[in-house]
Amino acid sequence: MKSAKKECVVMLLAGGQGSRLGALTKKLAKPSVPYGGKYRIIDFPLSNCVNSGLDTIGVLTQYQPLILNSYIGDGKSWDLDRMNGGIQILPPYQRVGDSEWYSGTANAIYQNMDFIDQYNPEYVLVLSGDHIYKMDYSLMIKFHKEKSADCTISVIDVPVREASRFGILSSDDEGRITDFEEKPKKPRSTKASMGIYVFNWNKLKEYLKIDNKNPKSTRDFGKDVIPLMLSAGEKMYSYEFKGYWKDVGTIDSLWQANMDLLGNSGLDLSGDWVIYSRHTERPPQYISSNSSVKNSIVSEGAVILGSVENSVIFSGVKIEENVVVKDSVIMADVQIRENSVINYSIIDESVIIEANLKVGTPIDKNPDITVIPRESIVRTGGVK
Amino acid sequence: MNALGIIFSDMQDWNMTELASHRSVAAIPFGGRYRLVDFTLSNMVNSGIDKMCIITKSNYRSLMEHVGSGKDWDLSRKKGGILIFPPYALGENHGLFQGRLDALKRVLDYISSSKEKYVIMSDCDMLYNINYKDVIRYHEEKNSDITAVYTTANLNRSNSIHKILYEFDSSKRADDILVYPITSGVHNVGLNTWVMNKDFLESIIYDAIARNYKDFSIDVLAKKVHSLRIYGYEYTGYFAHIDSLQSYYDNSLGLLNMENQQRLFYSQTGPIYTKTKDSAPTKYCRDANVKNSLLASGCIIEGAVENSIIFRGVTIGKNAVVKNSIIMQHGVIEEGARLDSIITDTYARVTRDRVLLGYSNCPFFIKKYSVI
Repeated sequence: MKSAKKECVVMLLAGGQGSRLGALTKKLAKPSVPYGGKYRIIDFPLSNCVNSGLDTIGVLTQYQPLILNSYIGDGKSWDLDRMNGGIQILPPYQRVGDSEWYSGTANAIYQNMDFIDQYNPEYVLVLSGDHIYKMDYSLMIKFHKEKSADCTISVIDVPVREASRFGILSSDDEGRITDFEEKPKKPRSTKASMGIYVFNWNKLKEYLKIDNKNPKSTRDFGKDVIPLMLSAGEKMYSYEFKGYWKDVGTIDSLWQANMDLLGNSGLDLSGDWVIYSRHTERPPQYISSNSSVKNSIVSEGAVILGSVENSVIFSGVKIEENVVVKDSVIMADVQIRENSVINYSIIDESVIIEANLKVGTPIDKNPDITVIPRESIVRTGGVK
Repeated sequence: MNALGIIFSDMQDWNMTELASHRSVAAIPFGGRYRLVDFTLSNMVNSGIDKMCIITKSNYRSLMEHVGSGKDWDLSRKKGGILIFPPYALGENHGLFQGRLDALKRVLDYISSSKEKYVIMSDCDMLYNINYKDVIRYHEEKNSDITAVYTTANLNRSNSIHKILYEFDSSKRADDILVYPITSGVHNVGLNTWVMNKDFLESIIYDAIARNYKDFSIDVLAKKVHSLRIYGYEYTGYFAHIDSLQSYYDNSLGLLNMENQQRLFYSQTGPIYTKTKDSAPTKYCRDANVKNSLLASGCIIEGAVENSIIFRGVTIGKNAVVKNSIIMQHGVIEEGARLDSIITDTYARVTRDRVLLGYSNCPFFIKKYSVI
């Protein structure tokens, strides 16, 4: 089958385990972690692609792909069920005389060079599936073309104290990258790589092949391929992004990213840059006469008979009478039975919390966030 | 399933002047996030029917836009799927159709070329949740020519006039059919849903062409009640007939009753499907005060809402109070405005501090795009 040429092919890295999310990623890969009332993290890069006019996307999966695969389906929720291009899931596969897991981010692309080649693209956009942000990638690609760059890396300004958690770039006045350090102890700048790369495909192919021959390489973009290209003197530029961007790699940051949707300071999900998602059909939300909902967002199909404050309530959640939910993230189809009190918690999908229970500790006592894993039942005497 | 669905978008629109002035009855928004046609389409799809058409009369743009390719109802298929028939002139039949039989004459080719054994005909102004498989099984058992779905309801003289009433013998065979009577009391009310064998429907249409019959209920049901085997299938679940602004208002607010929600939205038959819009979840601000209301997604609530239905993308400003009202899609109620017993059509805006009052038996209607 011959595919039409595409100027840019997107490769979305979605195989990450997200081990720092603990119980939340036991059964699913990090990009499929639910967020913001009705989304999963992967909705953000996918919607950004579609809104940027990019319609050919390979999704590289490895860790616990079941939920992610069935979530993506044929891609029609993101308008990615296309005659030409569209979305394709790319798990590791077996070849003659050779089969291996994706051993690093660069290796995942290396193993799928044939997928990219069938579209004969000029550029490849590499994305990761674990950040919450709205970004027009077409502007970054335009910048890449204007600079006649070989590689462009998107960067965001981070506070100095956090800089050593990221890959840190230094660049000259023109934006040309002079230095790149992965998680430096003493960062030389505060420009952090967002893990978003535009490459000239021919150039990237060259370096992927070189890197693959190096037995010492960890086959990672940040640790291996980018430093290799930089030391070879390729034209590499940094592209500055301004706006909301959140790495949701930890329980705390996932909770915070959800809270950022309340009030007016953080991320606004309404507006023209629509974030698409796949959801089951639900009736409108019902708020009863005795309930109270303050400073919260609530999704379709939720039934609220109790009180909810500073919280994110997903689709199909049922909150019964006299329940109090505060400072919490309640994911889809959770049922909280009467008189129970939930504080500072993340309750994963389809959990049932029986009546008259207390889950979590009030936020003003500065506790850790309580996490209840998916499909469990919380009864007096413990979690089952 | 071996059945073809035929849906009429506007068979009875005489009394719906406000809501259907610029859209077909099928496209009237209902229940916070639906259009009336969603209930009929979902009944069909949930019963396993995957081939159907909608016969429209006029003002069908919003209906076309809503249904699109049918993919939100899983009806975008290589085989079957959904077709919308705009008004269709055939030979001497110029202008709009006059009655259900006249409309069917114009889509005879579509019916004849369909391979399905049964036909299910339904309107969009009756809301109920049914599995047509059961009706077809019953139709087979009774060996009927026409099986009419009905429910028992207590009528008054003002709402009986838009209904077809059946009287049955002990075997549930119809022995009298009253079309649009003025009456009151408990009656067997037709849900304007009929099951027939496709061959039988074709024979009726040929007969109608020969005799210039136009009206199915009068020329077939009422006139031939004794010569045809017409049987009643009793439906006992949630039922609403949207035949006037008042019944629209009453039945909308009726959904605030959790038992009604359960019966219409969460029935065993399956979910109610509608066009996907990808709105963000609804945001409740610090001073929001919402009681006993249904809200769709994409709203921003800063004020008070009570006993109301709020559609997608509505904004309720600070200190605004919305009571006993229906605010359709993208309505904006600005700061300090007060509404009681109001229906605002889509994209209406009530500006700052305006006060609008209707009454429960006289809800006040605000037109699409109005700015008050």
